[in-house]
Amino acid sequence: MTTRRQMLRSAVLGGGASVVAATALGSLGAEAAFGAAPPQVEPGTPDPDFAEGRIRSIKDNVLLVLGSNMVFHNIRVVDGTSLWKLGPVAFDQAKPGDGLYARGVRMPDGVLAAESVWLNIVNIKGHVSNITSEKIHLDHNGKDVLCHVVPGRSVAVLSDAPPSSDLSTLRVGQHVQILGAWRPDTNEVDIATVFSPH
Amino acid sequence: MLGIAALQPYLIAAFFLWAALMKLLSRRMRSQAGRTALANLVGPARAIPAFRVVAGAELVVAFLLLVPPVLPAVLPVGALAAAAMSAGFLAYLTYSYRAEPASSCGCLGAHGKPVDWRSFARAGSLLVLSVSVFWAPLPSWDALALVVVAAEALALLALSPELDRHWLLPARQALVRLRRPLAVPDPGQVPLETSLRLLYLSPAYCTASARLTSDVQDVWEEDGLRFASYQAGEHTAVFAIPLAGEPTGVKVALV
Amino acid sequence: MSNSPPIDLLGPVQGEVSWFCCGTAWGPCSSTGKGACGTCNSGSMQHAWPNTSDACWAITRPDVCGDALSRRTCGFRHRTTSLCGGASVITSIADCGPQTDLFCGERSCCGSTCASNRLIDLTPAAYSKIASLSTGLRPCEISTA
Repeated sequence: MTTRRQMLRSAVLGGGASVVAATALGSLGAEAAFGAAPPQVEPGTPDPDFAEGRIRSIKDNVLLVLGSNMVFHNIRVVDGTSLWKLGPVAFDQAKPGDGLYARGVRMPDGVLAAESVWLNIVNIKGHVSNITSEKIHLDHNGKDVLCHVVPGRSVAVLSDAPPSSDLSTLRVGQHVQILGAWRPDTNEVDIATVFSPH
Repeated sequence: MLGIAALQPYLIAAFFLWAALMKLLSRRMRSQAGRTALANLVGPARAIPAFRVVAGAELVVAFLLLVPPVLPAVLPVGALAAAAMSAGFLAYLTYSYRAEPASSCGCLGAHGKPVDWRSFARAGSLLVLSVSVFWAPLPSWDALALVVVAAEALALLALSPELDRHWLLPARQALVRLRRPLAVPDPGQVPLETSLRLLYLSPAYCTASARLTSDVQDVWEEDGLRFASYQAGEHTAVFAIPLAGEPTGVKVALV
Repeated sequence: MSNSPPIDLLGPVQGEVSWFCCGTAWGPCSSTGKGACGTCNSGSMQHAWPNTSDACWAITRPDVCGDALSRRTCGFRHRTTSLCGGASVITSIADCGPQTDLFCGERSCCGSTCASNRLIDLTPAAYSKIASLSTGLRPCEISTA
């Protein structure tokens, strides 16, 4: 891992640029990439390259996931797969019981080769019904969701202003969107970002 | 005690009047009628007519409770009607809670909140007060009775989610302004999300984002920079994001 | 309904896109249900639109933000294109939303390209086609498909 980081660091500091030139893509030029883009999935139908559900078990690098439509998915995680659980995490952070969304490429054997996996990610909108010590009580569709501020991680984004760690500008009664990580089998969420219109 | 009982009809009548007027006159309530448990019971198209029928019944009950000083014989009828109405509300709340847990009841205003213990406590209290009216003498205005009935009215108002925005929310806002529960000392580190939002504003990200095929794979900090790597097809895209700086300072390389 | 002509009548419009979960899924989504059209699922290529019916319009009121939108009903197809990279996805209406009037004036930017007001909400399957779910909110262009 350290060697890889050193290699990437050298690449971007030594040969990096402020924009990606078309020539830097080599054979992956825009024309070739867009020409090779897969056809659109029929609107309204499930996307075979996407999986949703809860992790039932983990074996080697494969997640067995039970979807809300009672269909099982085998999701293979490889070196290039990104995992998110309130931020980028390593594979060992995936646990049975975690909720999951995954996007990748469905293989002929039915396994989903994952490019991105998001664990317990939620994006809920609602009214702030109360604010107590490092917690925002969110009224989401009539249900009370307890949202925890995570020091050093949670930020508030007020429209297009830069994110701020100071969430004290949020008001009881206002409407917000909270992107965060659900704590499995609870009505509680750890906050990554609070989006507020003002 | 009898003085307190004598004033209950007025308290109950006030609540029924309030409920009826909200159903008949509130435009917001009419616009939200389709999202209540009653709409799920009778169908969205019949929700507003159904609310009007209920409002009519509430007006009749309120009238029967206010008339006894002039027509004392009507008091037991009013008590029975109020008790029956309150029992009906409890049954409706039970249906709403069990069958349509996400819907509001549309009882005394448009607030969109589903039925909870406060709704049951309010309807149960109205039922108990209605039953007590059977033994109520004609009203006499003694001070203790007035104080007790005023306290009952405040309790019923506190159990009404429709009024939260008038007192509970302002109270919580004041408490938050006083205590500042989310004010945190400077964490001394730049949250990752701050760097990522800076990244999204950068020309480097704009030109590379079409190539990215994953979310953030790895993040680390070194020498005032935060590095973030993404998968880009068979390649890796790595960004160098200044921890304090402008979007134009972000660099990218495809490896 | 608003008296202003819909801004999407004659061409694409720009606004913000977010994502939401639906169907009997895990987490806070478990009680959301299958949306106003009765067919919504997080894994399907679907979206929520602010003007699917009079009742929907009464909740979302995009005209309050100056963005009256055309009436489109369940199953209607839109194309959502990310203003960040140009990826696009075609989805069909399965629910009413977002609540545009509660976020009036909010702006999202990618580079120097910005857009205001929430005009569409995608399912996780659809949103992840054009942006990472962890971004939560992005500027986009919406057109009919």
